[in-house]
Amino acid sequence: MGGRGGGRKPRNFATFRLFPRAGAADPNDRVFVRVDNNEYTVPGFADEDSFDPSQCDPTADAGHLHSASGPLPEHVRREILELGLPDDGYNYLSHLRELRPAAAAAASSFVPSSTARPEPLPLDVKAYDASRVRVGPAEGELDEGRTMCKVAAKTAPVRRIEKAVDPDVARLLDESDVSHAGSEDEGLEEDFVIVANRAEGEESEEAEEEDEEVEDGNGVFSDVEEEFDFEDDPKPRERRLLDEQFDLLALEEYGDSDDDDKGVKDGEYELPSEVIDELKLFHSQNACVDEEYRTPADFVRRKLESSTTDEVDESVHVIKKCAEYAEKYLNETAEEEEVVLVSESSDESEVWDCETIVSTFSNLDNHPGKIETPGIPKRRLPRVFPGENATTNDIIKLHGKERLPVEYLPQRKRGGEKEKKVKPAEATIGDKFKKGAEKETKEEKKARKAAVKEEKREARKAKKELKGLYKSETQKAQKVAAVTGPSSIRLM
Amino acid sequence: MAAADVAYAPPMKSGKPGYEGGVLEPQHRIRITLSSRNVKNLEKVCGDLVTGAKGKKLRLKGPVRIPTKVLHITTRKSPCGEGTNTWDRFEMRIHKRVIDLVSTPDVVKQITSITIEPGVEVEVTISDA
Repeated sequence: MGGRGGGRKPRNFATFRLFPRAGAADPNDRVFVRVDNNEYTVPGFADEDSFDPSQCDPTADAGHLHSASGPLPEHVRREILELGLPDDGYNYLSHLRELRPAAAAAASSFVPSSTARPEPLPLDVKAYDASRVRVGPAEGELDEGRTMCKVAAKTAPVRRIEKAVDPDVARLLDESDVSHAGSEDEGLEEDFVIVANRAEGEESEEAEEEDEEVEDGNGVFSDVEEEFDFEDDPKPRERRLLDEQFDLLALEEYGDSDDDDKGVKDGEYELPSEVIDELKLFHSQNACVDEEYRTPADFVRRKLESSTTDEVDESVHVIKKCAEYAEKYLNETAEEEEVVLVSESSDESEVWDCETIVSTFSNLDNHPGKIETPGIPKRRLPRVFPGENATTNDIIKLHGKERLPVEYLPQRKRGGEKEKKVKPAEATIGDKFKKGAEKETKEEKKARKAAVKEEKREARKAKKELKGLYKSETQKAQKVAAVTGPSSIRLM
Repeated sequence: MAAADVAYAPPMKSGKPGYEGGVLEPQHRIRITLSSRNVKNLEKVCGDLVTGAKGKKLRLKGPVRIPTKVLHITTRKSPCGEGTNTWDRFEMRIHKRVIDLVSTPDVVKQITSITIEPGVEVEVTISDA
């Protein structure tokens, strides 16, 4: 093959292949890339881009750079910074990609959603909305020592929220939406919120002072009310004179008979006006002012102070009234009781109103017999009347209370025994006359045993008869059992 | 005899109209090889290229259809050896078209830049005219 080597065809051609350009959004953006190693050059082809997939040098710019050695050139750095990427010596431009309209249409571009949903919180984080918490200005009221009536005065309602967005982030997001047209009053923009807040704070302070003067009498209620304020829909404002007036007006226009409870919200609870009057008087005395808890009894027992003599009278009065009311109530109920007399019926009327006589027989007198299967007809009548045996005596003996001829009566089950007993009795009696009394026991025993044997024999006979009598029935039952019942039942 | 005053112009093929006595750039023989698994796209690209070249009045050798190569893969269907011995027969068809032109590389670049279809591979071989 030496000759073959010399005669090889000259490879004076260049092969280019179309590759999609790296970093190009559009896959149709292709360039020609040389894929062979011949020494043939085509000047006008594939010159514009020095792209070579085998070398991983993406852009022309990058061709100027040393890969990761030495600082980046200034223009490159500037470009990187302009894009907002960090200036840490790495060439981020290599990772850039072109955004083309065609590519955007192909859904490969980022479109920010108009309804931005903040990320849900991770499971181990709880967020509470504390924007409604009032801090600060309400401390003036609390110093008067009404701590008893206002438990946990500084609590504020906070609502748990599911999505928490940093206020800064939210502000930035909002800002991006709103187009800042370069307003010259930028200073004012930021300030006016603060100014407004400050103004509101001053207003609330003034209102507070007024409230304290006017609502001295309703101290308790107002405190309670403010608690309600906290518990209900969070209303951060202080109750001002205007609010009081509004409430009054509302009550006048739409209210009921009670027109004097300034501190009570409409519709919360309705007390009779007398009670309200009493309570109002009571509360106007500032009963809860002191730290120490006092009962009216304390006042009665002269633990009172000079300032509270009125209170004493009032409390006494109240107690008296309470007692009166109680008595009245009690008496009323006593009078209203009706005595219901229940007359007892006389003996005559205690007759049964309905008599049903089924029979004049009663179990006391009449003993019904036990229902048994029809016995052996033989049994009804003894074959041998013992009386016949005893005819030798020519005496019909009457036994028992009723004086009946026992031997001639139809005997029952034990009648057989009796029969037998009678027989041996007769025999023994007969024997007695003949033999001595000593041998009675032997013969009695013999007779007894014979009687038992006889009985058993007869029972066997009866059973056989009964079996034969109901054979057809057993056949039927066997048939049925063969079909339905378990095979363990054996009837025949 | 007395033809010296007339500039001797070597006999030239009176080519296309607009031909101005010598090409500014040397013409090359260019072979465009189009290959794809998808016949439809391939035919479309082919047709576009041909029309483009014809529009540029290039010498063209029409799309030569190289016989389709069918690559087979025959595997057992079962991942284990159990069961009836069923086999899958997979195939991949590669279609190839070849277009020969005679023109400058620029023109070719122009033509190939316009018509692009996904899945069609274009290879251009440039040789001396």
